[in-house]
Amino acid sequence: MRSPVLPLTWHLTRSSGRRGLQSHLLSAAAAAAGALILLTLLSAHLGSGTRADRTAWRTPDAVSAAQATAIQTLGTTYVNHRPVTVVSLAQLPNRPDTPAPPGLDRFPAPGRTYLSPALANLMDRLPAGQLANRFPAKTDYGTLGEAGLGAPEELVAVVGRTPDDPAITRAPEGDALNTLAARARVSGFTGTKPSMFTSFDQQAAVLGGALLVVPVIVLASAAGRLGVARREQRLAALRLAGATPRQILAMTGVESAAVGLAGGLLGAVAYTLLLPVLTWVPYGIGTWYGELWVGLPWLLAVVAAVAVLTSVSAVSTLRGVARSPLGVAQQADPRRTRLIRLVLFVAIGLYVTVTAHGGGLSTGQSLALIVLVYGAFWMLGPWVVDMLGRLLSRFARRPATLLAARRLSDDPRGAWRTVSGLVLAGLVAGFFTVGQVGIGGYDCPGQVAVRADHGKPRELAVQARELLAKARVKASVETASADVWDGILSGSKGVVVHVRGGQEQIDTATTALSSLSPGNLPFTEDYVNAEGDITTRVIGEMGLAVLALGFLVAAASAGLTAAATVLDRRRVYGLLRLAGTPLKVLDRARMRETALPLVVLAGGTTATGIYAGMKVNEMFHMETDSSGAVRLALCVALGAATMFAALAGSRPLLRKVTAERAQDPD
Amino acid sequence: MSTVLAGNGLIKKYGTTNALAGVDVQVAERESLAIMGPSGSGKSTLLHTLAGIIRPDRGQVLLRGERSEMEIPPAEGWGRVDHWGENRLSALRRKRFGFVFQFGQLLPELPAEENVALPLMLEGVPRRQAVQRARRWFAPLGLAGLEHRRPGQLSGGQAQRVAIARALAVEPDVVFADEPTGALDQSTGEEVIRLLTSVTRDQGAALVMVTHDAEVAAHCDRVLQVRDGRVSGYSQYTVA
Repeated sequence: MRSPVLPLTWHLTRSSGRRGLQSHLLSAAAAAAGALILLTLLSAHLGSGTRADRTAWRTPDAVSAAQATAIQTLGTTYVNHRPVTVVSLAQLPNRPDTPAPPGLDRFPAPGRTYLSPALANLMDRLPAGQLANRFPAKTDYGTLGEAGLGAPEELVAVVGRTPDDPAITRAPEGDALNTLAARARVSGFTGTKPSMFTSFDQQAAVLGGALLVVPVIVLASAAGRLGVARREQRLAALRLAGATPRQILAMTGVESAAVGLAGGLLGAVAYTLLLPVLTWVPYGIGTWYGELWVGLPWLLAVVAAVAVLTSVSAVSTLRGVARSPLGVAQQADPRRTRLIRLVLFVAIGLYVTVTAHGGGLSTGQSLALIVLVYGAFWMLGPWVVDMLGRLLSRFARRPATLLAARRLSDDPRGAWRTVSGLVLAGLVAGFFTVGQVGIGGYDCPGQVAVRADHGKPRELAVQARELLAKARVKASVETASADVWDGILSGSKGVVVHVRGGQEQIDTATTALSSLSPGNLPFTEDYVNAEGDITTRVIGEMGLAVLALGFLVAAASAGLTAAATVLDRRRVYGLLRLAGTPLKVLDRARMRETALPLVVLAGGTTATGIYAGMKVNEMFHMETDSSGAVRLALCVALGAATMFAALAGSRPLLRKVTAERAQDPD
Repeated sequence: MSTVLAGNGLIKKYGTTNALAGVDVQVAERESLAIMGPSGSGKSTLLHTLAGIIRPDRGQVLLRGERSEMEIPPAEGWGRVDHWGENRLSALRRKRFGFVFQFGQLLPELPAEENVALPLMLEGVPRRQAVQRARRWFAPLGLAGLEHRRPGQLSGGQAQRVAIARALAVEPDVVFADEPTGALDQSTGEEVIRLLTSVTRDQGAALVMVTHDAEVAAHCDRVLQVRDGRVSGYSQYTVA
């Protein structure tokens, strides 16, 4: 016999009227927002990886001398604090032709220079003495295409040279730890090591995703819980009419999955439509080409995941109805929480503290710990809400506070769900604002250095003075020996130029010294601090994105849950109102129900976030940014204000549902 | 007995439906008045209009014991409820009226005694005193020992008695009851209605009750029959 579940579900959904439609629309909107955020996070993660892969060709993977067809060097120079990647290529004689590098249609001939569009543009705008003169003098530069670039803003030059050019023969081998400089024999461009400027983007995206995924799940769950009371009444009636628990759960699952699916698809459409806008959002090395499209399989997977989440959430709220036809109507006892939650929280806290102590964790381990910390708070939250409710109900003196306190201890899990988004966002805020690291890098402002790997520092210093004088740069020049480790040269011999004047003078000095030691590009403070600066910038950008999205998601969850609560309690609110209870008392009770646990719990999680942020700083031997506390206070205040605005958004709904009772012609 | 509440020429329309088509009604002190009629006859609309929940399109709702706002008699000591703003009406419903509905009026998370104390607290009575005053109603209404139970732990009849206690806790002039026994079985309904009428009278309050059950209405002093938004007749019962 054909199952009656689907046709009955469809019939009931269609006949649920305007209120049912309202709930469905709100549910779908929440699911859409969840899907959009998940897809955005996923696209940042996948896009960062693709982008990083596209830069890998610049860092050569060495082949044996017998297999080699060309020599490739990689150098990095800075202009106005922006890195310029310089790839030099030389075809070896009597060897097969080397294929063209990505972004070029042929292997560059000696003397030929190709520039990324952004670099060409910058060269047009800056005097030649600040930038263009660093490259072989040419006016007809070729263009390095999109395939060879990570982002449209990247400054990259590819220079064709002869194998005996000193820029090739004297270029440093580089080291395994950074990819700012390298030299190797190659036979193609199959490098596997992405540019250092892109290498941290994907990790930071994973970290941001891990921190945001729980608030997004909370949002999707809030979507699933909308209209619970209406659904429970309907399904309890069906149970009384003889429907089995399985049929009830199946109907709920199907209905909410359909709504979640519709919302997920809406989110996917919104994501697709927003892609052109998203590509303009700078992250890491810059904006994007087309890497943000996650592809159809991922798109469908996210839509399916949102539908499943919405469905599971809705089904989990109906266990009462499934157990008994009387469902929640017979709920007599408060949904108490047990002390075991606190015990488990303490145990997890100890474990995380011990594991994180001393650092040295891999990305995977760090993510696992973050998930564990989230889980621990998820477990503890309802218990704290319960305790808070009991304590407040003992001392409450005003009706609104008493109502709020009794509600908290009556359904601590429900109250926790309302605030959980912001509470967990507080954890993120604490982590990122304090983890917004200020790295103790080299402090050498106004200095330009050139290594003297193939010459005597004293001779180089003389030449440097001449070059600087010719470029009209006011500077003093000194030599450094190989045993000085705390300077800009950090243990290499060479010359150090102290430039007087601003950044333009530094750039002019850097350009003037480009020919001083072929193969060794002059470098500045930006170069030696590159790795730390990249990490700081990417963490900062991701932190900001996580905070903004986290608070938005939290506010959306709170607003939805508040609207759902008003709809679910419309009868009791309406009758209280008829009996003369002022609307503001009901509204205050509703607000306090959220504000009280928020103040207590958000404080706790924010403190934990600060602790975790400091631990991360310790792991990376970084200093904690003291201005983080101010940012944190601002973030939490802004988040709380957003949340209360979202709650206040359901005030007209409260007014409306409490006025509806009188519209009865009987 | 003198009149405490009156509705004169009350008219109320919902779209093209005449919920009230010119109703005159007076409620005397300590009187119990049942409003009966078939579904859609306008009986709930009449109760809501008298209680200041619905504003009539035309006509007056007059309540004794309020500052006079009228230029025409009966001016002295009568307030015209249908002219009041929502805040004043809310205060009126809280202070001088009590309400008992069919079901669902108790807050599920509050214990019974706090449900009863709630209107007092809303009036600014300190919580401890409000709860003490609320507890006084439990024994007379047969609720002794149930003070700490929550609505979900009470039977339907017990929950309605708690609702009656809450309606009477503010010592109102008029108690409005909308199908107060509609969700109860016959014997429990009988018991609840007997308590409602007797305790209300003992408190010196009038009772206005909507019911479709003639046996329930028989407990009241008078029965007002409503049909198509008009009063179709009165019945007078002997007070039991």
